[in-house]
Amino acid sequence: MDPAEAFTFEDVVLERGGQRILDGVSDHIHWAQTTAIVGASGAGKSTFLRLLNRFEDPTEGTILLDGRALDTYDVHALRRRVGLVAQRPTMLTETIGQELRVAKPELTDDQASALLDRVALPGVRLDAATSTLSGGEQQRVALARTLALDPQILLLDEPTSALDDRSARAVDDIIESLVAEGLTVVLVTHDVDRVLDLAHSVLVLHQGRLVERGGPGDVRYLA
Amino acid sequence: MNTTQNIPDWLGVAASALLVLIAIGVSIRARLGLTRELLIAAVRAFVQLVAVGTVLTILFARAGLLGALAWVAGMVVIAGLVAAGRAKALPKARSTGWIAVGTGTTTTLGVLLLLGVIEPTPSVVVPVGGMVVGGAMTAAILSMRRLTETAREQRLDIEARLALGLTAEQAMAPHMRRAVTVALLPAIDSTKVVGLIALPGAMTGLILAGVEPIVAVRYQIVVMYMLLAAASVSAIVASHLSRRALFDEADRLYRVPEV
Repeated sequence: MDPAEAFTFEDVVLERGGQRILDGVSDHIHWAQTTAIVGASGAGKSTFLRLLNRFEDPTEGTILLDGRALDTYDVHALRRRVGLVAQRPTMLTETIGQELRVAKPELTDDQASALLDRVALPGVRLDAATSTLSGGEQQRVALARTLALDPQILLLDEPTSALDDRSARAVDDIIESLVAEGLTVVLVTHDVDRVLDLAHSVLVLHQGRLVERGGPGDVRYLA
Repeated sequence: MNTTQNIPDWLGVAASALLVLIAIGVSIRARLGLTRELLIAAVRAFVQLVAVGTVLTILFARAGLLGALAWVAGMVVIAGLVAAGRAKALPKARSTGWIAVGTGTTTTLGVLLLLGVIEPTPSVVVPVGGMVVGGAMTAAILSMRRLTETAREQRLDIEARLALGLTAEQAMAPHMRRAVTVALLPAIDSTKVVGLIALPGAMTGLILAGVEPIVAVRYQIVVMYMLLAAASVSAIVASHLSRRALFDEADRLYRVPEV
């Protein structure tokens, strides 16, 4: 196995209710890059992402992380290492400070403020109510909540689809800076411009099959 | 004291059928179209109660404590099935219902019997057991239903917590507290207002049977306390088992269908 590979897919099939959601996917995802998963809706993009933190398991085939089968890791440690940020942010608590401590209660105020700086929310008070935040701010708090766990890999499911342009651009800038810091990002999106700007490599899914892969300049789907 | 002195004889029961005729008369006069329903209800009540009365009379005379406990176990089985029927979308609903109601009942009846609060005779164990099973069943149903609805309606919230590496137990903790609270509120509320709004069943029965009210309340106090215990144990057990049934071995929340 190539040590540059974070995830390796070997003939991955996922069936649900007699239907093939993913059909024989074999490929890999590199460390410290942004890999975009693209395709029409219903192509299996979100399911693909949910396999990586074991929200789903393949019906057939194997997924490796760091050369080791995903289901041999402790699932909770795996989910801390492979953080997932959903399409629509769900605020779980009343204040930003509590939100950042959902999975890391020992986080200090200084660490919490540093996380908010990292997601471009500088100077936001930790006791501010999460309910007063805009959608874009909530998405950034959700990202910070995940970053509090110091993940190695970030899975982002259409993180900007519910945001206005300005907020979306802010999130894109954050993604770029995180990858520059060494994080590995797997991004599901339907936004071609975003892929061209952010991705190092692109996987194209069509009806559950991997039909193309390559750099953003090479993939016909984006042309 | 003759405890049957205030109870109507069969002639009195026959006379009370006049009240059903009054209800039927109202239905006919007001064209409610309920005559048939009223008749069926009245006949069913008569047949069911006579049947239960006959069985219990035989049971009390012949069964002994073991027979009475077997009767209570039968009630637990039925109550578990009823609970499962009210939370159909929950995986393992039957075993959850049985274990929750069974644990609530065993704990409560066990304490009452071991401490000598109630007589270990069928005529006491069966009716007291019935009340305990009923209370435990209500609490089990409420917590099972609440958690099943939570799993369906709060999926994004729960998965957001799981995605942060929390265990299913941690991810469900806030919802569990709410489910148990919801399940216990009826028992707590009825304990708070007992005697103020209406005289409760056990006490009413004793007073009708000729027992002095100040004596009857002693029984009612025990009944209220035992219902609190039965509901608490049953709700806690039901919510823990429901939570476990809602997740698989990799702490993934099952998809709960609308039922």
